[in-house]
Amino acid sequence: MSLLTVKGVSKHYNERIVALSDVSFAIEPGEFVVIIGSSGAGKSTLLRCINRIVEVTSGVVTFDGLDVGSLDKRELRKMRTKVGMIFQHYNLVNRLCVLENVLHGRLGYKSTWAGALGIYSEEEKAQALRVLRLVGLEEQVYQRCDQLSGGQKQRVGIARALLQDPKLLLCDEPISSLDPNASKVIMDYLKKINTELGITCLVNLHQVHIALAYAERIIGVKRGRVVYDGLTEHLTAETIHDIYGSEAGDLLLGSGGNHVG
Amino acid sequence: MQREQSLAPLWQPKVRPRLGQHRALNKPLDKGTLFMRLTMAIFLALTVLAFASFDYQGLNIYNAFLGTIANFRVLMLSPQLTHFSLVEAAEGMLITLSLALLTTVIGAILALFFGLLAAQNLSSPLISGLIKGGVAFIRAVPTILWVLIFAIAAGLGSVAAVTGMAFHSVGYLVKAYAEAFEEVDSGVIEALRATGASWWQIVCQAVLPTAQSYLLSWTFVRFEINFVGALAMGAAAGAGGLGFDLFLASAHYFDLREVGFITYLVLAVALVLETITTQIKVRLRVQT
Repeated sequence: MSLLTVKGVSKHYNERIVALSDVSFAIEPGEFVVIIGSSGAGKSTLLRCINRIVEVTSGVVTFDGLDVGSLDKRELRKMRTKVGMIFQHYNLVNRLCVLENVLHGRLGYKSTWAGALGIYSEEEKAQALRVLRLVGLEEQVYQRCDQLSGGQKQRVGIARALLQDPKLLLCDEPISSLDPNASKVIMDYLKKINTELGITCLVNLHQVHIALAYAERIIGVKRGRVVYDGLTEHLTAETIHDIYGSEAGDLLLGSGGNHVG
Repeated sequence: MQREQSLAPLWQPKVRPRLGQHRALNKPLDKGTLFMRLTMAIFLALTVLAFASFDYQGLNIYNAFLGTIANFRVLMLSPQLTHFSLVEAAEGMLITLSLALLTTVIGAILALFFGLLAAQNLSSPLISGLIKGGVAFIRAVPTILWVLIFAIAAGLGSVAAVTGMAFHSVGYLVKAYAEAFEEVDSGVIEALRATGASWWQIVCQAVLPTAQSYLLSWTFVRFEINFVGALAMGAAAGAGGLGFDLFLASAHYFDLREVGFITYLVLAVALVLETITTQIKVRLRVQT
């Protein structure tokens, strides 16, 4: 059974702005899928429809056998714990230390007051330290997040998501604010999380060459519609040109060899 | 020389000002400028008219001026306590500071809660709008009026003063707090929602830690305002403290020296408060 199915999902912000129209796909457990598309194509909205940060206008999202749209508040919180999310701008609480930010990944599991007051069990703290070691941040545990570099912040973001013990990781432009070196580090971590921990990854990217290098399967989104869904090796230059508009397509493909690997 | 020559064209205006634009520094005479000038002209006319039509009642301006200067000299240069002891004055100051602290604390606690509900990113548009409208009304009515309104029920005195000042503090701080909360990066709130965190968890774990320096600094600003308010309320609403002593010294004993002494005392405390506020702000800014 698929881990995630998106069926006929549309999102209209108002009559004129249509972010998604009739999007359908299914993600199997353990897949590493990259969604490509130009800015404003609806990639971010698509990811946010999956954990209902954005409510869909029509269509059905099914995650792990649950109809996401029909969940009540408590069930939704429970479902969200199983879906980790990382962001382009990391979205950490800058005034708190790395460990506190990572522990936020446990909030969905805790009673409201224990979570609000920041009371975590020894086991949760030990798990947080293990996850931080996994992303290579054991030295920065007590450092405030605003003192970290972009790449380090994103690794804190990954650690926070991992502490949720997720089945699915949604990554919204995880490397768009990073330099090429940090980008490679982050993509390698995501790949490692996918292969070693078996966590399904759904990654939004607009760097085609990186998508080609890392993805097993690519979903191309153009103006709110899925225009390609298939294995990476079957993606043709024409399709990329179609997704991005032809001149941009040339540019993106041409730079591919320089960055990958 | 060559360099100067090459720079020269830069100093010449590219477009020559047209006729009539010279005097207005090239600013065209648009609606705003016209309105501004008209207002100024009216103010000027009114000022002249007012001075011409005052009823001076045979007042000798020169003598009056000298008398005022003399009074100020007594006030400023020979401060002295006659009707109170220094201990009593210190006690009065303590009461005034307590009034300020009490009203600020009550105001801050209530404002924290209502501020969260008034912040657009944490609340529904309806609730946020209602609260913001409500506190705008509370702020628009001056503190002294609230004290007098509460005095209808509580009688003139410290109860009415504390209630009225705390009420106005809530109005002030809700706005300040709500704005501080709205400054919090929406992405951070989104990230915590995505982990399955509940509203209170997001507030305590993301919003308050991010906004705390603003909250503290606004609360201190309000404490300073309430200190001045407590002084005035002591005199006007009989709330006690140094304000009431000041009222007795001036309106009851007509003792300029004592008023002078109390003024210096207030000035000293205000300076200390100001210094503390500045220090706190500096420290918080270093941290952010």
